[in-house]
Amino acid sequence: MSLEFEATMTVGAFHYEAAFEARDEIVVLFGHSGAGKSLTLQAIAGLLRPQSGRIVIDGQPVVDTTRGIDLPPQRRHVGYVVQSLALFPHLTVAENVAFGMNGDRASRASRTARLLQALGLEGTGDRRPRTLSVGQQQRVALARALGREARLLLLDEPFSALDESLRTSLRSELLRLRAELGLSIVFVTHDLREAHLLADRLAVFDAGRVLQFGPREDVFRRPSSRRVAELTGVANIARGVVREADETSITVDVAGMALVCGAVPGLQAPSPGSAVDVTIRAERVNLRRFRGGGIPGTNTLEARIVEEYAYGSTHTLKFAPVGPGPALEVEIAARPYEVLGVAGQRDWLLELPPGDLHVMPAS
Amino acid sequence: MSEQSRSDRATSAVLWLLAASFALFFLLPLAGLVQRGLSDSGTWDSITSGTARDALWLSLWTSTLTTALAVIFGTPAAYLLSRAHFPGQSLVEALIDLPIVLPPTVAGVALLAAFGRRGVLGEPLDELTGITFGFTTMAVVMAQFIVAAPFFVRAARAGFDSVDPQFEQVAHTLGASPRRAVLRVVVPLAWPSLAAGLVLCWARAMGELGATLIFAGNFQGRTQTMPLAIIEAFESSAGLAGAVALSLLLLAVALLALVAFRVAQRGGAYR
Repeated sequence: MSLEFEATMTVGAFHYEAAFEARDEIVVLFGHSGAGKSLTLQAIAGLLRPQSGRIVIDGQPVVDTTRGIDLPPQRRHVGYVVQSLALFPHLTVAENVAFGMNGDRASRASRTARLLQALGLEGTGDRRPRTLSVGQQQRVALARALGREARLLLLDEPFSALDESLRTSLRSELLRLRAELGLSIVFVTHDLREAHLLADRLAVFDAGRVLQFGPREDVFRRPSSRRVAELTGVANIARGVVREADETSITVDVAGMALVCGAVPGLQAPSPGSAVDVTIRAERVNLRRFRGGGIPGTNTLEARIVEEYAYGSTHTLKFAPVGPGPALEVEIAARPYEVLGVAGQRDWLLELPPGDLHVMPAS
Repeated sequence: MSEQSRSDRATSAVLWLLAASFALFFLLPLAGLVQRGLSDSGTWDSITSGTARDALWLSLWTSTLTTALAVIFGTPAAYLLSRAHFPGQSLVEALIDLPIVLPPTVAGVALLAAFGRRGVLGEPLDELTGITFGFTTMAVVMAQFIVAAPFFVRAARAGFDSVDPQFEQVAHTLGASPRRAVLRVVVPLAWPSLAAGLVLCWARAMGELGATLIFAGNFQGRTQTMPLAIIEAFESSAGLAGAVALSLLLLAVALLALVAFRVAQRGGAYR
């Protein structure tokens, strides 16, 4: 199951231009609300016609503006779960699930029963959707979309109305379903953790554009621009000037300190003297005990905790440099926080692994 | 007793008093009608007369036909007004609402001007085909339709407006054709409003007088509906007594129909 997508449209003052693809995987469309994520799903489902573009599902073009192709939604075989779910309130759960099914009554009934069972909805078939819990309603919407024998599942922030524990269980259930049914899923979310958990590949949307599309780790660890870094929650972004660069590493002067950064293979190294942004995620910074004397090793600076926030499972520490070097935000799990005794010790050495330091052209 | 609860009781008493006065205003004339009808010896004869039977039968079937036509032509109109957006839409909406505001007599005069034997459309139609509308049973239905159908369209439109378009869109992605999406999703969801519009339209058609009188005339068995028969009885030698008898008959039938419809609807609507 595959999807190729490229489309441009202009809705009022909003200009949209995006391209990405999905191949037997979960592609997460990530971005703030109003970035064009839901618009993308509507275009795939056929509820919105792009001004120009090409959308191919499983090798079949459903939209191709150059050839005048524009299949109506009912012929696209796409399962679409909208944010409000839109379960039909006048039909029972079973009737909802069977709504999109073809075939005779008996086969529809057996497929409905199988889907209800697969989603843990046994015994709810004769009830009205509104008598179910929000989590169950979510599953009914999923079952209904799957009942169509969809080639592609489009999910628009399906878990945003749920509490955290329910979200967690539904996310893992979605991963299980994906593995069982071999679905391609396009999943819209503005939740960073959700995006990270579910995404095989990630498309970062901002103001109607895809800023970066790639495997999850690429996007999270090597954002293509400062904006992507900001959107994907990179806490540390520092301006610097390239001192020297070769194919394997780039040395950047940042706040009076020389940082050795890993180079992205295949990408042209920036020329010495050019301005760059250097990023490192808060959880990639190593904390080391300060034993006095000189500073050991490269990419290590002496810094002092100036603010800290306890989030339960993690702690966020804000460091100010004692000597040269950038101010840094560090995230550390609760257990190492206690083992290291961070609460009683303010001065630390921060080590920035070259492989986690990412260099990109200054914006 | 606290100051607060005393004022609450006073508010509640005023509320009940006003509501009771309101109900009484409707009950008293009905009681008067029943009392007059029972005390008059000629009532039963008037009710069972051929005039009454003809008028009642005509009223019932023309009103039902009018309502059916309103559903057939009005439902698509209401749906388009709710979903589509086209230039001049406000004008169309105002035109459909117009008969609700204007006295039915105006509608009657307008129908006569258009479809009467000397009318803009009526004259050429008469010359070409020999078909005339004026003073026929068809004219009764046309008069009822122009006056009553807007009530159905209004209610149906409000019903369609209340159905989130996302239901239809999801139905489309589930493979439903536009027709199936409307029939299986939109209409059932809008049903309470459609049903209310149905009743309103039928009731308005049953009560139609002004337009019918002008466009269809008053001929027993052909265009004389119950309201017209009541007027004629009132102006005849029988006077108030005859009018009371026919009014009681119409009252009973209308009440029966409305109750029957409510019961049927309660069974049909989803909960």
